[in-house]
Amino acid sequence: MKLSRKWLEQYMDLSGLDMNDVASAVTDAGFEVEEILPMSSGTNLVIGEVLTCVDHPDSDHLHLTTVDTGDGIRQIVCGAPNVAAGQKVIVALPGAKLPGGEIRSGSIRGQQSDGMICSLAELGVDKHSLTEEQLAGIEVLPADAPVGNTDPRGYLGLNDVVLDISLTPNRADCQAVWNMAAETAAILKRPAEFPEYEGAGNAGNDKETDLVISSTTEKCPSFLGKIIGSITIKESPKWMKELLRASGVHSINNVVDISNIVMLETGQPMHFYDLDALPASELICKDGLECEYTALDGITYSIQPEDLIITSAGKPVGIAGIMGGDDSKIEENTTRLLIEVATFDHVSIRNTARRLALNTEASVRYQRGIEPLAAKKALDRAVDLLIRYADAKDIEKTVVYGTDGYIPRTITCTLAEINGRLGTDFVLDEVMDVFKRLSLEPELDGDLITVHVPSTRQDLEGMADLSEEVIRMIGYDRLPSTLPLMEMTEGKLNPQQKQRRFIRTMLLENGLQDAVTYTLVSQAKNDNAILGRGNALELPVPLSEERRFIRRSILPSLLETLSYNLSRGNKNVSLFEISELTSDQGVDKHLAIVLNGNLESVRWLNQTLPTDFYTIKGLIEEMLIRLGIGENRIYFKENKTDTRHFHPGRSAEVYIGKDLIGITGEIHPLYAKENGIRQAVMAEIDLDKVLGTKKSKVRFSPVSKYPAVSRDLAFVVKKDVPAGKIVDVIKRSGKLDKEAVVRSVEVFDVYEGEHVADDEKSIALNMTFQSDRHTLDDAMITKVFNDIIDAIQKQCKAVLRSA
Amino acid sequence: MANFEELKQQFTAAFENAENLEQLNALRVEYLGKKGQISALMKQMKDVPKEEKPAFGQKVNELKAEATALFDKKKEELESKALEEKLASEKIDLTLPGRRPSYGNLNPLHLVEQELEDLFIGLGYQVIEGDEVVDDLYCFERANIPKDHPARAMQDSLYLDPEHLLRTHTTAIQMKVLEEQAPNPIKVVCPGKVYRRDDDDATHSHQFMQIEGLVIGEHVPLSDLKGTLEFFARKMFGQDREIRFRPSFFPFTEPSVEVDVSCHMCGGKGCPTCKGTGWIEILGAGEVHPHVLEMAGYDPKKVNGFAFGIGIERVAMLKYGIDDIRHFYTNDQRFNKNFDRFD
Repeated sequence: MKLSRKWLEQYMDLSGLDMNDVASAVTDAGFEVEEILPMSSGTNLVIGEVLTCVDHPDSDHLHLTTVDTGDGIRQIVCGAPNVAAGQKVIVALPGAKLPGGEIRSGSIRGQQSDGMICSLAELGVDKHSLTEEQLAGIEVLPADAPVGNTDPRGYLGLNDVVLDISLTPNRADCQAVWNMAAETAAILKRPAEFPEYEGAGNAGNDKETDLVISSTTEKCPSFLGKIIGSITIKESPKWMKELLRASGVHSINNVVDISNIVMLETGQPMHFYDLDALPASELICKDGLECEYTALDGITYSIQPEDLIITSAGKPVGIAGIMGGDDSKIEENTTRLLIEVATFDHVSIRNTARRLALNTEASVRYQRGIEPLAAKKALDRAVDLLIRYADAKDIEKTVVYGTDGYIPRTITCTLAEINGRLGTDFVLDEVMDVFKRLSLEPELDGDLITVHVPSTRQDLEGMADLSEEVIRMIGYDRLPSTLPLMEMTEGKLNPQQKQRRFIRTMLLENGLQDAVTYTLVSQAKNDNAILGRGNALELPVPLSEERRFIRRSILPSLLETLSYNLSRGNKNVSLFEISELTSDQGVDKHLAIVLNGNLESVRWLNQTLPTDFYTIKGLIEEMLIRLGIGENRIYFKENKTDTRHFHPGRSAEVYIGKDLIGITGEIHPLYAKENGIRQAVMAEIDLDKVLGTKKSKVRFSPVSKYPAVSRDLAFVVKKDVPAGKIVDVIKRSGKLDKEAVVRSVEVFDVYEGEHVADDEKSIALNMTFQSDRHTLDDAMITKVFNDIIDAIQKQCKAVLRSA
Repeated sequence: MANFEELKQQFTAAFENAENLEQLNALRVEYLGKKGQISALMKQMKDVPKEEKPAFGQKVNELKAEATALFDKKKEELESKALEEKLASEKIDLTLPGRRPSYGNLNPLHLVEQELEDLFIGLGYQVIEGDEVVDDLYCFERANIPKDHPARAMQDSLYLDPEHLLRTHTTAIQMKVLEEQAPNPIKVVCPGKVYRRDDDDATHSHQFMQIEGLVIGEHVPLSDLKGTLEFFARKMFGQDREIRFRPSFFPFTEPSVEVDVSCHMCGGKGCPTCKGTGWIEILGAGEVHPHVLEMAGYDPKKVNGFAFGIGIERVAMLKYGIDDIRHFYTNDQRFNKNFDRFD
């Protein structure tokens, strides 16, 4: 809302305060001043009279003038097209400081110029408040403007300063200047006086009327109408014009201006109809209509059944609470007036205003909410002003539909409750003073403070609200700083949060970047979900095609991130993301990994850690083991789940026991191409399953006292025999007196090529044997070793190459 | 027996002039070997008169000891020289790059989130997360946001159906925590992603992160909020930070405050970061509204408490001087690598 110094000075004395002081005081009390706007600025100005005006000899658009500025006659070069002899004008004298800079004496194309004749725009007046004529040229003052007056801004009423205040939703009451001014007076601790007008609306109540006022919808619960049988249209008084200008409203004529000024004062929009232009002496608020309607602004709007419409004899005459009609607007020749003051449902107004893209002073006020007694106040004040400034006569009885439904409210609390909520030690006098300043009429009964909530303060419902009034009026600088005194609690992460942090740390330590990508994805990304559960949740009104579905899988987003990085010249991009996913089946947490290029690389040493299947496999295995999942429970099996996104021969399903927990491997070349990348290995892992699975406890296992013996073996097997099978056979068969004496098996060479048949490969393994019971002698080792060789030869169709 | 002296001079010079270990070893054989010159002297013993034998023997032994000492000294000298030469020849270029273990970086959102979580864990808070798709009961109704509030319209929030939406604030988690914990005390922080119907630009993002704090107990007044947030501001932005409360409005708190922190860039003198005011608006907070407590099953006459909500992007942008919110979600490696540590 806009609040100017002149508005405030109508009601209170501001001496000793400039508007910066006022702004900081109201800001500290919860009314944030966004801008302090002088209506105009400029020093060293004077009202002058143009004595002569001729064309500049060396210019096709400049004029050469002589101007009487009271203290003498000076020559001024002026470029405005509208300058002419005989005009009264605003002159900026040499040394004047204007928003655009300082004015100096000088020569303009060879002619001396001692000052500047000003337009209002040059004095910093808001361009939106100026006419095209005013914008195009200098300001021409009335013929009786006093030459030599050194305050032309004051003469024009442009010496006001406006505060642009942002209101919080709970203080919609302060859309009304009167309420904001009363609040300001309370904050500044200055007395304020407001105009006497109450009961003015009763004028003519002894005179019968045939006016019909009604509503057929509950969205218009109350509606006041009143006929003023005779008014005179003329110019508004100067004070009214100045106040309207300070609020950014154009002055039109006295009657229209009165409806606007009352709306500004009380916050209650009202509409004046030219009674003779209405089809009948009747106003009915309706919804359910569907029609085209031309409003005051000359634009035709398409009205839908949900819109509230004011009708007269069944004909629409206004969009309720938003804008009146063109046909019945107040014109120069209007003599009979019908006043409408009504209460409309704010949601309905909001929806209509939004759909029609029509935000008016009225609709904004209705949307924010209007205090219950504002309608009556507005009617009283309007009749008061119409009588005084529009010669209102033949006033008829007010017609009332519905009621304001206002029930006065009191709140009772104690000083201890307020201090208890705030943590303060305010004394009773301070608190009572705040309530008095805010016109809450506090009464004290023992410990109990009872306040009477004015109709304007519908936001005050209980003690908590009062505690806020107290602290904001006394000031937050009086709030002490303490820490909660409570029973000790254990600050902690839960086990899943801890494990997630561990996974992040481990992946970071291995060179992967932590990524965060968007939850909402396109149809294509949803179609490419990997390990996605159920069906995707779709926004009925998506943000865009790119942001339509809630994702069920992270990898498509992570691949996009990889592609983004590669296309910007970043190399060796390895990423992971942990994210919550939601589908129609519920909520999952996934971990996704994408590796590209080399994970580690020292080029001058020609050493790299490439990103292939085995790198990501090792990473996943290590992660699972360190989370407490035994190596013997982790399996990588042939990928039969998803060969659209993964290379069918170089990817695996990952299992913990019998639970499929993820898919990992090389990206399918076609899917890679779709993503604009050449190479990547990736994984999508169901983290809930990983974190939810049973974990083994950390336990000491004794170190054997007996020496370990190392042996190597090499076999030739068919290519399709997995190395893992041979390792399994070794582990299972390497027993001595039922003790598993094979302590480790390591594949150290896999060879295909020369000296090995085309469909075969050679696998070399190293084994370590050790017993917890005794030293293994040669005979024992040989026995175990031979058992192993036998088992491999039988179970893997292997041929021993060397032992 | 003049040949003693002569021999001594001879091997002294020879050992001294040896240039390397091979030469020295050859000299050792020549003088000290079984068939060497000193051994040859011993063979002359049989020709020496009996009474002179002890003296002769002693002289030969002395000569041998001297030769051995000279040999050892020279050997040590030559070995030491050889080692020095070897080490000198093994010199490497110290300026070539080392094998640095590769180490990724946390996204700065997680860096800030983790720092905030740890800060509050240190004060005895638990970390509670919740679902991103929520019932509007918890997102709005329980937070005292009325049915007809603009946030509850399709135009502002991302609704999936009339009752479910992507949460617009982490307050939705708190409302669930309140219901689950009533009537017991609470001390939690709730981090998470939130969503609004906004077009993405440098300062807006349809997806962003918040962390909200909630403390409920028998006597947890507004002043406790101030102390807690002072602690937060100093941990995050430096020990000299001050905070300032300004009255504000949120439906779920009463009183409600906007919290400013004295500018960490200029120390409060005024600079572009704080737009010359010396203060930076950092979060919203307040005493939990009695209606909110009541709806969750608490008796607002017996307990009270505070809540605060911190925008993680906002903290990260202020702390690290990041100028565009979209950076957090594009994950450009060149952006992420700035955030290589907690500080």
